[in-house]
Amino acid sequence: MKPLDTAAGSCTDEALSLRKLRLKFPGEDSLLFKDLSFSVKKGEKVLLLGPSGCGKSTLLQVASGIVPRSFELPMKSEAIDLPSSWGFVFQDPDTQFCMPYVDEELAFVLENLAVPQEEMPERIEAVLRRVGLQLTDVHTPILELSQGMKQRLALASVLLMEPDVLFLDEPSALLDPEGTEQIWSSIRDAAADKTVVIVEHKIEQITGWIDRVVLFTDHGEILADGPPDTVFREHRPELIRYGIWYPGVWEDYVRSEGFLQLMRDRPGTGDSRIVELESFTGWRGKRAVIHAEKADVAEGSWIAVLGENGSGKSSLLLSMIQLLKTTGTLTVDGRTVIQKKRRRTLPDGLSLVFQNPELQFVANSLFEELTVSMHTLNPEEAEKRAYGLLKRFSLPEDGKRHPYQLSVGQKRRLSVATALTGNTQVLLLDEPTFGQDARNTFVMLETLETLRRNGLTIVMVTHDLEIADHFATHQWHIADGRLMSCEKTGGAAHARLVHS
Amino acid sequence: MKKLTFTDLLITIMVGVVFGILMKFWDDLYTAIKPVLPVARQLLYGMWFMNGVFAFLLIRKPGVALIASIAGAGLSAFIGHGLGVLIYGAAQGLAAELLFAAFRYRKFSIPFAGLAGVASCAASFGLDLIYGYADLETWALIVKYGLRAVSAFIFTGVFAVLVIRALEATGVTNSIRPVAKEEYSLLDR
Amino acid sequence: MPAWFTPERMTWLFRVNPALKFAVFLLLLFITLFNRNLPLAAWLAVLSAILLYGFSGYSAKKLALLSIPIALSFASSFITMALFGKGDTVLWQWGIFKISEESIRHGLLLGTKSLSFGFTGFAFLLTVEPVLFFYAMMQQFRLPSKYAYSFIASIRLLPVIAEEIQVRSNALKVRGITFSRGVRGVGERIRSYTVPLFAQSIRRAQRIAIAMEAKQYQMGAARTYFYSTSYSRHDAIFLAVMAVSVAAVFWLSFGVPY
Ligand SMILES: Nc1ncnc2c1ncn2[C@@H]1O[C@H](COP(=O)(O)OP(=O)(O)OP(=O)(O)O)[C@@H](O)[C@H]1O
Ligand SMILES: Nc1ncnc2c1ncn2[C@@H]1O[C@H](COP(=O)(O)OP(=O)(O)OP(=O)(O)O)[C@@H](O)[C@H]1O
Ligand SMILES: [Mg+2]
Ligand SMILES: [Mg+2]
Repeated sequence: MKPLDTAAGSCTDEALSLRKLRLKFPGEDSLLFKDLSFSVKKGEKVLLLGPSGCGKSTLLQVASGIVPRSFELPMKSEAIDLPSSWGFVFQDPDTQFCMPYVDEELAFVLENLAVPQEEMPERIEAVLRRVGLQLTDVHTPILELSQGMKQRLALASVLLMEPDVLFLDEPSALLDPEGTEQIWSSIRDAAADKTVVIVEHKIEQITGWIDRVVLFTDHGEILADGPPDTVFREHRPELIRYGIWYPGVWEDYVRSEGFLQLMRDRPGTGDSRIVELESFTGWRGKRAVIHAEKADVAEGSWIAVLGENGSGKSSLLLSMIQLLKTTGTLTVDGRTVIQKKRRRTLPDGLSLVFQNPELQFVANSLFEELTVSMHTLNPEEAEKRAYGLLKRFSLPEDGKRHPYQLSVGQKRRLSVATALTGNTQVLLLDEPTFGQDARNTFVMLETLETLRRNGLTIVMVTHDLEIADHFATHQWHIADGRLMSCEKTGGAAHARLVHS
Repeated sequence: MKKLTFTDLLITIMVGVVFGILMKFWDDLYTAIKPVLPVARQLLYGMWFMNGVFAFLLIRKPGVALIASIAGAGLSAFIGHGLGVLIYGAAQGLAAELLFAAFRYRKFSIPFAGLAGVASCAASFGLDLIYGYADLETWALIVKYGLRAVSAFIFTGVFAVLVIRALEATGVTNSIRPVAKEEYSLLDR
Repeated sequence: MPAWFTPERMTWLFRVNPALKFAVFLLLLFITLFNRNLPLAAWLAVLSAILLYGFSGYSAKKLALLSIPIALSFASSFITMALFGKGDTVLWQWGIFKISEESIRHGLLLGTKSLSFGFTGFAFLLTVEPVLFFYAMMQQFRLPSKYAYSFIASIRLLPVIAEEIQVRSNALKVRGITFSRGVRGVGERIRSYTVPLFAQSIRRAQRIAIAMEAKQYQMGAARTYFYSTSYSRHDAIFLAVMAVSVAAVFWLSFGVPY
């Protein structure tokens, strides 16, 4: 991409610059960016912060040249100057690999760089160590990795390129706390002298490292731009208004009137046990991926399922709802679930939100997606509720768009919203808050808490200990495919686990 | 007309490969009813012409119909149909490609898609003549290839176009086809 | 490759350069294709059967299963041609059906050709690792990398699509979608599977292409190869064996009087 004109100022110390960018999606009426100017200096570490759906991912793709080189969107700009050597970690870990095996995927990058074959195995081993992806055999099928493991692999392939500019689109969204720490420390090591442009919601780990924060509004305009301390100090009201993460947001939130009100005389859990597991095992093929010796869920409780990447959290939920083959005893609301090999219907009373939101979608528009499982309501009622949900989860309110044409965070919210429409006793949620801005995270949690008060039981996989501490009534810890402990939140054992 | 990008090529081959697999299953169905219902089976034949036409309707660029046909045939050749299929695929894809080219790659509606299927059908007839599948009694010949042409039209003209329209409703086509000029002018509002 | 497609033992056929094997098998198929001589077609079928059953390294049970469609295709080519084929020496006629000596011969010819096609195709497919095949095609036969990687990526996506069907049915279950009974239900089912499956596959392909380009893949750029494929002793042996076998087939067909 050649600059259309070399404006004064865009001299050699800029890694990339865009001036007066206008961009829209085909078939949409409104512009996503209107005369947006943005530039990054060489060696600068920039964090883009903004509400979910404001256009951060799209901006990264324009800044790297993916748009319009690899796919075309209607856009124009007065001047555009893009880096020639760059690497990109995409937001969706499922669609960035082209080869069947881990080693082949990393080798593909090396081949593109024309690295001699003899050097490849060694470099592959080294980069995997760097991102903390331990595998007994590097020739492992990528399909068998957990989501978090895939995210590490994606980073590994980018690090192999040793690019001048790194674009990172939520590289730690699905990682466990330890993995997040690890990923950022390997990025810090690998990219000390490089230009880095980051989109990320989980910012505690990086605020000390970045040089500059750029804040966006809902409408893709720049609200503030400067060193992190200044921005976080001076723009606190806007950060709160637009619901953007900032360091200390949880402390502010738990002191806020809304939260205190919600938690004031918070009802405890009921007496009856709604789900009981005994010698319960979930299988993928011949491999037992999750085992729970004995566990039960009291009615009205909110269970946070915690554990490392690949430990078997998703497998636990899939087993409970019988999408994996299981053995042992599973009882839901007193009824023993019969574990047939091929079953046509799922156990009554359970409902699931998949880890990958796209797996949830069955319809052609947001609106239809929400109304499709409200058969019990009359049409007007259903329509009203659907629009209510779109508004509450800040989704495009006309509801006409296809579910795939959303940002990742919006897809996540839509998939959670769809699960709130049916009649369920126990809701299983697999990382419902990943990729969310602060406002949407709290809205989602508050909505769930309200439903819990009305009798819903929640089992929720999460990596966010704040959520586990402030909202969950119980915490389950999973390690190496086993349910290790079930604790009440705030108990002594819990404190030990968190701090060890 | 725009050249094929790597994205276009990968999607084209992907579509081809998916059809290659579908054709394998279709072939088992076809073989099963071939001896039992000699007439009706020709009505299933149109499936073999869908691949290239479908890919073209999706991406709307030159070369796509041919590449998808060869990719699909290449795959199905090696999962049990033999090289014959590869040659048939190439010829049928070429025929469809030429038909779209004759209309300067600008026609995407039912009649044109259907015609492309019939062109592929004609190509397959030509090959049958060479290889000896067409050494039939005259009446059988006419019935066989007449029905096959009808089926070609139905599969490529009707089914392929309907699936493409359903896909358009999901919005995927928006992101893979060249963006219309008007979209750019909307930027200036 | 799914677990089902792992052979019981690795035969010498696995060690042959995949691109060379492709070329030789292609040649074999070409001969089959243009041939109009019944004995030759039959002996070619025998040769390919030996290749498949003797040297693919798969258990007899799996091979038998794979042979069912091949046998069916033999039967159907034979029967159609026998019943409707041209011919003057009529043996039996009933209504529109007419069996003649010529049509029977012709039917047998087409039938045995289908056998060769099926056997050779499987003998190749079962003894080749797709990724290695494309690496060999790039290195030995200069196949442009854009085609090779498009194929590799598409083939990698096939199990994903298979999984997608499962995922789709899971999603429909989780969301509590039910279908009507009877023919309408079948229609609804087809619609709620095919269109999303296509849409997903296309979107996947697109995003993977974008990711590949982001990993600095460039059409036509120079590159090195993780798996370097070359010719070896096995290839010489393979060529010799195939040459002798084909010669034998021709001799058996034309050299021996019947
Ligand atoms: N194919 C599409 N067609 C129309 N609109 C789209 C399409 N894809 C995305 N959008 C919209 O464009 C906007 C920007 O999307 P983008 O993915 O850049 O957001 P984002 O800031 O990265 O959000 P998140 O934090 O949730 O990932 C969103 O409002 C989204 O709904
Ligand atoms: N589709 C699959 N096929 C085979 N094995 C799988 C598959 N998905 C996951 N696994 C394996 O099952 C184990 C548990 O995976 P699971 O997805 O339950 O982990 P998780 O705790 O949800 O991790 P994450 O936090 O990364 O999502 C992992 O070792 C993983 O390699
Ligand atoms: Mg995003
Ligand atoms: Mg998981």
